[in-house]
Amino acid sequence: MAKLIMFHGRECPHCKKMMPLVEKLEQEIPVRFDKREIWHDEANADLMRGYREALAPKCGNQLRVPTFLNMETKDAVCGEVEYEKLKDWALKQV
Amino acid sequence: MKKRYWRCFVCNDIHYGVAPPELCPTCKVLNAYVEISAEEARRFLEPSAAAPAPPDFRTAIESFAAGQVFQVNPDREKVDLLLKGIAENESNHGLKFCPCRLRTKDWAEDQRLVCPCNFTIHETYKGVADGECWCGLFVRRK
Ligand code: SF4
Repeated sequence: MAKLIMFHGRECPHCKKMMPLVEKLEQEIPVRFDKREIWHDEANADLMRGYREALAPKCGNQLRVPTFLNMETKDAVCGEVEYEKLKDWALKQV
Repeated sequence: MKKRYWRCFVCNDIHYGVAPPELCPTCKVLNAYVEISAEEARRFLEPSAAAPAPPDFRTAIESFAAGQVFQVNPDREKVDLLLKGIAENESNHGLKFCPCRLRTKDWAEDQRLVCPCNFTIHETYKGVADGECWCGLFVRRK
């Protein structure tokens, strides 16, 4: 199974909105997101910083949350996206 | 362009920028600024017990947005969550970092993540009819 990560922030409204959609997606198709909170966990923050080169060009040249990343291919999608868009992206990863 | 420090010779306001203000915003004297060292600026800016405490952040951003083309998001729940994150980031990481982005630990870059940031250049705001800052704390005024 592809190694997918969702970087999120506990007090980020976009992340809060995406979380139940991500959980729904995990029920619907065979994907799992490793959910990493980045403001209250420095190890997670460092992990995200480690992918900066792959993530920043997709996120306004910054590290923004929520960000969904395939750790192997470094393909990523950033921000509050429609359920179908996330699903299409996730399907491409499996 | 490098920013430098300036001090008003009349009222001791400190300015940090590439050039001093022509008119001192506090004492209204023209051409009153002299260039000073970072150390002098630091000493003048040392917190003074006499200075009144700033308003809480919600009040500060409400008055910052008053009369602007943007406003604080009327979605109270969203704003409450963001203000909580901003306050936690300030106590855990030293500054009011944006809850929807991650600091890089490069100080020059991370200055752009202190709330309120210059969201008018964000692609979620610039040229967008119902634009908002990346987090949705500020939205275009309706
Ligand atoms: S994106 Fe919005 S909440 Fe985040 S720092 Fe900028 S103004 Fe503040």
